Amino acid sequence: MTHRLPPGQFALTESLDDRIRAISGAPARVGDLAHPILAYVGALGGLAQPIGDWARALGLGFDLGPVLGRCRIDLPGRLRTSQVYEVRAEVGEIQRKPSRRFGEADHAPFAISLCQSQGAVSILSFTMITPVRA
Amino acid sequence: MTLAPLTPEAMAEWSAWLRDDNAIHLSREAAEAAGFGPRRVNPGPANLALLISAVLRADPGAEFASITADFTGNAFEGDELDTTLSADSAILTRAGEVLVSAQFSRKPRDER
Repeated sequence: MTHRLPPGQFALTESLDDRIRAISGAPARVGDLAHPILAYVGALGGLAQPIGDWARALGLGFDLGPVLGRCRIDLPGRLRTSQVYEVRAEVGEIQRKPSRRFGEADHAPFAISLCQSQGAVSILSFTMITPVRA
Repeated sequence: MTLAPLTPEAMAEWSAWLRDDNAIHLSREAAEAAGFGPRRVNPGPANLALLISAVLRADPGAEFASITADFTGNAFEGDELDTTLSADSAILTRAGEVLVSAQFSRKPRDER
């Protein structure tokens, strides 16, 4: 079952893109094309509530140390600076699986899109893996 | 290419941007208590940003249709990391240990 989170908003500013480029060693921006990691920053930064709050509300052991195993960023549009995006997020069915590291872990699949009127500009997909409380 | 050492100040900036209040990124004590050892843990997306930036340095006009990343290790404050690029993939390493590997699918130039 998929659970849709309330929408949020993300303002992608030139100054944020500049700072992320500086801190990560990227070259200067070409036109208004944002650094692709802004798809990730905007997804988490623009959620209606921080990702940790959602995880805790879903009963996940976020404070025990979440693990990010794999993520995918799809860019069907162009992520641009000086734009405001609607943030649409959903979390799929949480599955409890055996874990070599934790004994047992919950796997929560998130999909978070930055959208404008024409649809999704970027889509971040990842599975948050959290230890099950003993 | 070897990157500049990771700093706690940068980790704090990333945590704020991501609204990630997990203390392992901000506090040595929290990192140690969570079993990561005595140094702060760099947020995973910050590691991925280093890798994407390395690809952009090699091709500043590149646009991507998708990026897929596997996170297989943690980076810590003070770490000096290396990036290695190939045609459509890149890896982030510390002393030969792969921390992140990523696949890049570029948009054709005529679709931009």
